[in-house]
Amino acid sequence: MNKAVERELLVPESPEEVWRSLAEPAWLGEDASIELEPAGEVEAGERSGFVEEADEPRRLVFWWSAPDEDASRVELDLEETDEGTLVRVTESRPLEILTLRGRELALELDLAGGQGPVASAAAGGAALVIG
Amino acid sequence: MPAADPADAVFNALADGTRRDLFALLGRRGEASATDLARELPVTRQAVQKHLGLLADAGLVAARRAGREVLYHPTPGPMSEALEWMAEVGHQWDDRLAALDRQLARGRTSA
Repeated sequence: MNKAVERELLVPESPEEVWRSLAEPAWLGEDASIELEPAGEVEAGERSGFVEEADEPRRLVFWWSAPDEDASRVELDLEETDEGTLVRVTESRPLEILTLRGRELALELDLAGGQGPVASAAAGGAALVIG
Repeated sequence: MPAADPADAVFNALADGTRRDLFALLGRRGEASATDLARELPVTRQAVQKHLGLLADAGLVAARRAGREVLYHPTPGPMSEALEWMAEVGHQWDDRLAALDRQLARGRTSA
């Protein structure tokens, strides 16, 4: 089952300004951090993960999970409008079989053909749990 | 009037933001009275009662009597885990986007 949640926020700032604000991670919670580049680390509370895609200032995609929780994929799209920027966020669990194990995770994502990511574990303590 | 399709009833029940918040809150609390829930939401106890009624019609919550109180709890079911996740995650993003908006707003007054 592909569960997805979608939310939107309209702000008067430009996508560039919103993007800069995304880099100040307070909006993700206290003591959060996010590196806005591919394979950048994401830390927010008990959640951790990595950035899949960072197309400044339009699109940010990252994966995260809390311990013992299925990983979910977060897509943030910044769309320029007459009034400013429409921020659209989609969080989904396309791969419920995938369990992320903290920051040691290393995945190669094959996005060919626009299908869901095909994950393959790389070296270095990666965890791909199928069950 | 109950919807013909149970899935329609579920999605109609969760189409409303207040009911999603209410359902997420109830998921976190496990069990609570309408009065308890109204204390944590910006709506009256009467409104909470009405929303709980709609959630109950959709089979998402059930009630039991405990003395002079009626306590509500989310109903376990094949869909409820997915729905609870959606309600909880949606609620978290409402909070995060509100925080992002506040963060951006700090620059607005000086502009």
